[in-house]
Amino acid sequence: MADSTGPLDRLFGAVDRVRGALTVSPRTVRNLKSEYRTSALSKVGVALILVVVFMAVFAPFIAPQNPTTQNLDNGRLPPLGFTQTEQQTQTQMVNGSIQTVNTTETVNATLAHPLGTNSLGQDMLARVIYGARTSLLVGLLGTSLAALLGVSVGLTAGYYRGRVDDTLMRFADVSLAFPSLVLAIALIGVWGRASVSVPDPFVVAGVVDPVRSALGLPTPMPDTFVLPGTVIVVVGLVNWVWFARVARGEALSIREEEFVKAARALGADDARVVLRHVLPNATTPILVLATIQVASIILLESSLSFLGFSGTTLSWGFDIAQGRAYLASAWWIATVPGLAIVLTVVGINLVGDWLRDALDPGIEGEGGM
Amino acid sequence: MAYGRFLLKRGLQGVLVVWGVVTVVFGLRFITPGNPVNAVAPLDASPELRQRIAEELGLNRPVYVQYADYIWELLHGDMGYSYISSIDASTIVLSKLPATLELAVASTVVAIVLSIPLGVVSATRRHEPADYAATSFSLVGISTPNFWLGIMLVLLLSVELNLFPTSGRAFGFYRSFELLFAEGVGAFWAAITGWLWHIALPAVTLGTYFTALVTRLTRSGMLDELGKQYVRATRAKGLPETLVRYRHALKNTLIPVVTVLGLQMGTLIGGAVITEAVFSWPGLGTTLINAINARDWPIIQGTLIVIGVGFVLVNVLVDALYAYLDPQVVE
Amino acid sequence: MSRDPTDAEPAGAPAGSPDDVLRVRNLTTRFFTEEGQVNAVEGVDFDVRDGEVFGIVGESGSGKSVTALSVIDLVESPGRITDGEVWYREPDLAAEFEDDVPAAVDGEFVDVRRLPEGVRRSLRGPSFSMIFQDPMSSLNPSVTVGEQIAEAVEVQRRASANPRRTRSRTQGYGLGRLLVDTLVPGRGYTSEASEARAVELLEQVGIPDPAERADEYPHQFSGGMLQRAMVAQALAGEPDVLIADEPTTALDVTIQAQILNLLRDLQAEQDTSVVMITHDLGVIARMCQRVGVMYAGQVVERGTLADVFDDPVHPYTEGLLGSIPDMDEPASRLEPIEGNVPSLLDSEMGERCYFADRCPKAMEDCLRPIPMYDAEGSDEHETRCVLAVEEYDEAAALPDGYFESEPDSASESGSADDPAAGEEVSTGD
Repeated sequence: MADSTGPLDRLFGAVDRVRGALTVSPRTVRNLKSEYRTSALSKVGVALILVVVFMAVFAPFIAPQNPTTQNLDNGRLPPLGFTQTEQQTQTQMVNGSIQTVNTTETVNATLAHPLGTNSLGQDMLARVIYGARTSLLVGLLGTSLAALLGVSVGLTAGYYRGRVDDTLMRFADVSLAFPSLVLAIALIGVWGRASVSVPDPFVVAGVVDPVRSALGLPTPMPDTFVLPGTVIVVVGLVNWVWFARVARGEALSIREEEFVKAARALGADDARVVLRHVLPNATTPILVLATIQVASIILLESSLSFLGFSGTTLSWGFDIAQGRAYLASAWWIATVPGLAIVLTVVGINLVGDWLRDALDPGIEGEGGM
Repeated sequence: MAYGRFLLKRGLQGVLVVWGVVTVVFGLRFITPGNPVNAVAPLDASPELRQRIAEELGLNRPVYVQYADYIWELLHGDMGYSYISSIDASTIVLSKLPATLELAVASTVVAIVLSIPLGVVSATRRHEPADYAATSFSLVGISTPNFWLGIMLVLLLSVELNLFPTSGRAFGFYRSFELLFAEGVGAFWAAITGWLWHIALPAVTLGTYFTALVTRLTRSGMLDELGKQYVRATRAKGLPETLVRYRHALKNTLIPVVTVLGLQMGTLIGGAVITEAVFSWPGLGTTLINAINARDWPIIQGTLIVIGVGFVLVNVLVDALYAYLDPQVVE
Repeated sequence: MSRDPTDAEPAGAPAGSPDDVLRVRNLTTRFFTEEGQVNAVEGVDFDVRDGEVFGIVGESGSGKSVTALSVIDLVESPGRITDGEVWYREPDLAAEFEDDVPAAVDGEFVDVRRLPEGVRRSLRGPSFSMIFQDPMSSLNPSVTVGEQIAEAVEVQRRASANPRRTRSRTQGYGLGRLLVDTLVPGRGYTSEASEARAVELLEQVGIPDPAERADEYPHQFSGGMLQRAMVAQALAGEPDVLIADEPTTALDVTIQAQILNLLRDLQAEQDTSVVMITHDLGVIARMCQRVGVMYAGQVVERGTLADVFDDPVHPYTEGLLGSIPDMDEPASRLEPIEGNVPSLLDSEMGERCYFADRCPKAMEDCLRPIPMYDAEGSDEHETRCVLAVEEYDEAAALPDGYFESEPDSASESGSADDPAAGEEVSTGD
């Protein structure tokens, strides 16, 4: 740690201090560090993720506008650096005869809307920033749910083996037979698109408006944030299988280790053995899988929003669907949120590659959309 | 024979999973909050219609009777009638299957033809520009939502450059062949080129994720294999490098790739659903989405069953291929 | 016969016995790793004669396997052969390249290192062949054993059927041919004749039911049977020089003896020259006529079997021999050499005899690079040790712990009882 400088090194320092509790071996931390130092791509990945997390957390402070404020006079403004020409055909009476006059109107980008506006005049940058919240929250909560379900099932199957294993794994096979997206659509179709309004802590605490006023940014910002509840539950339910497969494989091999046999010989009950001995030793592959799954679930969420199966309108996928109608006249409405998705997922995949190379958990890039 | 026994066992497992698929689809009605009729009935159903549906579907009977009935009807190919068009659901679903199949097959072909050479070049020219290009492509490829990729392709190639149609399927692959016999080569040629012209963008849209995924798998697998002792031994006996790389290393690389591909067939079908939505491709995906929006329950069930059974079938075939490639599996 | 290692560009083939089939000079192979440059093989010289078994012995990590791979030109990145010559006696090859690459030809000898890569590659199989330590990982698990041997036969058949020049680039087998052979039923790289020959070879190496076993996969074979198959594969090309890299290390003791007998019989029968690489002095004593001892990437002692076994000069050789149990006095303990195989990192290798830090007779004169000296015994006996030319002088001896003050010698490779530090040199049977 002698040459630690960056924030990540400080993070590693923290990991060093708590690694006893987390059962992260010093070798693991060393591998992570050396892999991070030698790989430029993992730095790019970390940087991308930090940017997206920053946008999501501090959205009310940094968004140039309220993302839901409509302004039809300012609709379809192009992003900075682009101009948009709109042809208008007017019919006029000139010298007693009817003539059609083509007027070409040039729409310039404005500094107030750096990434332009959509058809309703909503600020694209603000929507991208708030969209990061939806993507990350759905990604993290959905992955947690999938991990909770999958790891429980997988550990049980791998630990007990035999008939329990067979039954649970046939169940997993059935679940695999439905593509995540198809099953998700079906479940949302049956359950509806419920959502939960969560108060935005910064806005409720009253710290946002003073800061924005001081910076000269328009107020007010939305004081609640819409969490697409059904979507979170559904993406968790359709992605548990990947966790079950990995956890089962780990449990099958760890249960044969001497220390597990010793614990069982000493009469520890099954729940204790699984939670205290098997699970902690299976964390590495589960962590790597979880990283990749966050990316998959973000892609899945955007697909659901695109198809109109989400409970929120502040979502990158939803904005892409909105922009489809204006491809010929306002290309940026569909383009900008898509770029946000690609950069976020690239960042997560780069970090996933970094973790996989450093920790070598022996799993391939499983887990599709 | 060991291989035959393996296939039989795997086939029986497949039948078991199909039974599970059918059961899950049946169960979907019962995980609906409130009365199961709510799941089945259109949103604007009148109380009389609800009553009729409940009676017609026998929802007032015990669950096990309903289940047995349902299985019995399915075995006879009876999936009920569409609430919207009153047409036999199995007819509708099966008529949409070819469009989805040709899209899935076309994108798989695109993916395999592009990805394996890309992965091999990437692995054998490690740290050269070709490798960087291939790894960058595959990273972005697995990170791009395919519906957005489709829209961008439409924006660039259809809206701006006017090279490809934005939607539709023209005659389709099979009907083009019907034309060949009915109206001759000229009509067939027009139909099949029209089909190719229409399927190009959807196939690339759907195939990109797979191309990227298989490129990554091939590259890392090939690097693994090329580092193994048997490759060195194969070179030591003087075998031409072409054979060392392709007949030995690549063959062993593709064995696990085949398995992952089988597992990812779900992703392909899921991707097909959304690709169909982007290009208005008249397949199972558009049918499913429309059916869900209209609460056309028999169609939803039929589509889900066809997709699930298709996935199981593909995976049994993949396992058969895997066992054929890797002699250790059959043991 | 000793030559100065700095003499990098000698004109023509080096002097040696007229029976030599291979003369290796100043062979130098380095690995360029993240930790730094590793000098795995440093200026190795040796000769191999017609029909003899030449032994190379040393602890693991002494560079003997890399020497073997360098001779057959199979060093892979991050390793690279940075210097040296491999003169191979092959009159036809010499005649062929006399005009094109005159520097590579001298009489009947050709310096393989100066030939184009495609030609070097074409020598593998028909000229040089290799047997590896672990037969299970050295055969492709998904191709039948018979097919893999048939491939080696086919290489030889095609090599004798085609002129060398046409096959230098793709060895006459490009991607197009592969595609055609894969897609057209009934076609393939190997012919029926080579498959039949593969069965014969399996029979020759003592595998029962060879026709049935040829259709089996490596995982269906036992380790000993598989090593027999490897021997069959290596001999399929009827090579002039067979390199056997620890061919018995991975096997049970009883099977080791069988494989060695097989190798010796086949070698005598086919009059092939063998380079036997091992850490096992028992194998050397049993198989070889002449032997070279390697330490830290260098040959430290070389001579006939009698020279090295009965009259060793280098304390390292003495140490190796001391670790053989004495048959006359079974109670005497094995005496492993103290200390560890040294780090071969360029930055940690000083300008001195590399063995000095473990040597019981290290003197001040050892603190400089040591050339090869002639030693007593046969004409061929040479050693890289000052004791060949001066007596051990206790007054000039280095004090105990002299090297421990060197910052690098106490690197993390651990203490002498670290089990991972390196296998002990032992006797085989």
